[in-house]
Amino acid sequence: MDCLFPFAWFATIYPPMTDKIPVTVLTGYLGAGKTTLLNRILTEDHGKKYAVIVNEFGEIGIDNDLVVGADEEVFEMNNGCVCCTVRGDLIRVLSGLMKRKGGFDAIIVETTGLADPGPVAQTFFMDEDVAARTRLDSVTTLVDAKHVMQRLDDSKEAREQVAFADQILLNKTDLVSEAELAVVEARLRGLNPLAPIRRTERAKIALDQILDQNRFDLERITDIRPEFVNPAHGEDGHVHDEHCGHDHGHGHDHDHGHAHDHGPRGHAHQDDIRGISLSLDRPIDGQAFTRWLDKLLAEQGPDILRAKGIIEIAGEDRRLVFQAVHMILEGDLQREWGPNERRWSRAVFIGRNLDEANLKAGFEACAA
Amino acid sequence: MTSRSFDAPVTAALFDASGQAAFALGDGTVRFEDGSVAEVHDGAVLSACLHPSGRGVVTGGDDGRVVWSTPDQAQELADAHGKWIDAVAGSPESGLIAFSSGKTVTVLDPADPHYRRDFVHERSVADIAFEPKGRKLACATYGGVATWFARIETQKPTFLKWAGSHTRVLYAPDGAFLLSAMQENQLHGWRLKDSKDLRMGGYPAKIRDMVFFDQGRLMATSGAHGVVVWPFVGAGGPMGKEASELGFEEGVAVVRVAAAPRGPMLAAGLADGRVWAMDVRTGPQRWIVAERGAPVTALAVREDGGRLAWGREDGEAGVADLAT
Repeated sequence: MDCLFPFAWFATIYPPMTDKIPVTVLTGYLGAGKTTLLNRILTEDHGKKYAVIVNEFGEIGIDNDLVVGADEEVFEMNNGCVCCTVRGDLIRVLSGLMKRKGGFDAIIVETTGLADPGPVAQTFFMDEDVAARTRLDSVTTLVDAKHVMQRLDDSKEAREQVAFADQILLNKTDLVSEAELAVVEARLRGLNPLAPIRRTERAKIALDQILDQNRFDLERITDIRPEFVNPAHGEDGHVHDEHCGHDHGHGHDHDHGHAHDHGPRGHAHQDDIRGISLSLDRPIDGQAFTRWLDKLLAEQGPDILRAKGIIEIAGEDRRLVFQAVHMILEGDLQREWGPNERRWSRAVFIGRNLDEANLKAGFEACAA
Repeated sequence: MTSRSFDAPVTAALFDASGQAAFALGDGTVRFEDGSVAEVHDGAVLSACLHPSGRGVVTGGDDGRVVWSTPDQAQELADAHGKWIDAVAGSPESGLIAFSSGKTVTVLDPADPHYRRDFVHERSVADIAFEPKGRKLACATYGGVATWFARIETQKPTFLKWAGSHTRVLYAPDGAFLLSAMQENQLHGWRLKDSKDLRMGGYPAKIRDMVFFDQGRLMATSGAHGVVVWPFVGAGGPMGKEASELGFEEGVAVVRVAAAPRGPMLAAGLADGRVWAMDVRTGPQRWIVAERGAPVTALAVREDGGRLAWGREDGEAGVADLAT
């Protein structure tokens, strides 16, 4: 497979640009509350100039803001590489917006309920014009507390949108009980242990809490809490699985990956997509780790939606941080470990068909 | 050299038949060299070409309008009702104008206000080019290039297939070849008499611009550290031949190219804002704009090779004499 990785080259040909426009990708299935949130962004007196790209054709201006329609157009590259798949409509619209006088403070991209977030995110790394002028700020996924369990059962796209998210807005929390919310959050965590979950009603949230979050900035990878992946039994967010060592008493066999016949508020269960957490208390050999990670992404990149990690490299005072979207990998030495900071390595991989034991063995074999 | 400082990104620079420069901008205006300003779009100019008459400029805006501007007046040619006009093209030979809005390419005849042809594609059209006689047009889209007879109302296009997204399209001046630039940093070409594919790869960056010059014997493109020049001599064109790279400089990319169609004068606009010109027969490159700045977004060489116009993303622009 011939894959293009142009980032390093971009850096050499474009003058460093500090004022790249942040782009928030807003995903969520139909009815999750995206339109409510967008209407708030457009009507609130925020004093900023936003452009919103929606999935209908046409263009309207609302006060300072601009709404642009675009038909979803997924472009596969002729090298067949999955990680090079981009959204042609976004390249076209973002490039057009860059021609406008005055620019924008931020751009929000609404995807359809059935959109795959992968090509949307990849566009910001793979297309030179888009990468030169904008930066992906976050993939923000809205889910609706009342219907999300059903959607996650029914829809591969719904699971992918949650798994891909940098932050999750759990909306319509007023329509369900606290106990139901706990079950929903547990399942969301199982799918995506990296994204913070914010509870909202009627998509009400301060815009500065969702826009301009710098979620793809390596400098902002400050902490990864592997215990989020599967909190201890009895705690919030615990997901029952075969390692629990007790009988769940469900009275039926799990046939994972298929439609279940229990309702939205059924038990917590494992989805086809899940987050796998790895950690190690010994320093890691930098070269061995890079080799392992490159090989892993080359072989399983299409199945790995997101990954992030903070690694303690033997003989290095700085933390190695990395993140990946499918096969697109960024990594760098970040700040020094603090004098009282616990030095340890941890990484989270979110994807489908991931073999936890195999990942764990490969990761631990990188120990220095 | 005369410099101008506009307060909007420069979308396009052009020379009209009288030899005067015009700039189309991100504030929806067209600025003529004589200082006159046509305020024509509510939003940005997304695309621009010379009017087939050689007088004035045709622009497509993000307000969905297609407008013909001259220093004296502006006239709306079409309104796509809010759909962005991503590409415009004009043919002096047939007098026709074509523009794309989303998946539709529309052909207009300025001599006949009722004339209109709409050609619908499966995917959005990124660029349009008329063949040299102006009777056909090629539309770059996803999966290939569609060619249409410009005047026939109902027809099926000839679709030249090549996997991937095609972003720019250009006919060789003798009509023998059709070239397209692709999302995946490569050129693709077709020899039209037998639809033979030409694969022209090896580019490190996106190819935003291509131009034929020197009587059609050479084609220059952006997308590398220098200007990539392909030979188009003989029945095979560039087949089996190697491209040369002019003005190579490590650490910077050529993003715009322009040239005189019949002469050897070639110009390059760089990602760091500099502009050079070169008579490819005699060399060497001459710096027209030596100080660095925002990326060059517009570049034009007058038909006789005597003048050059350039514009940058930050609104800086200028016109320079190339004659020595």
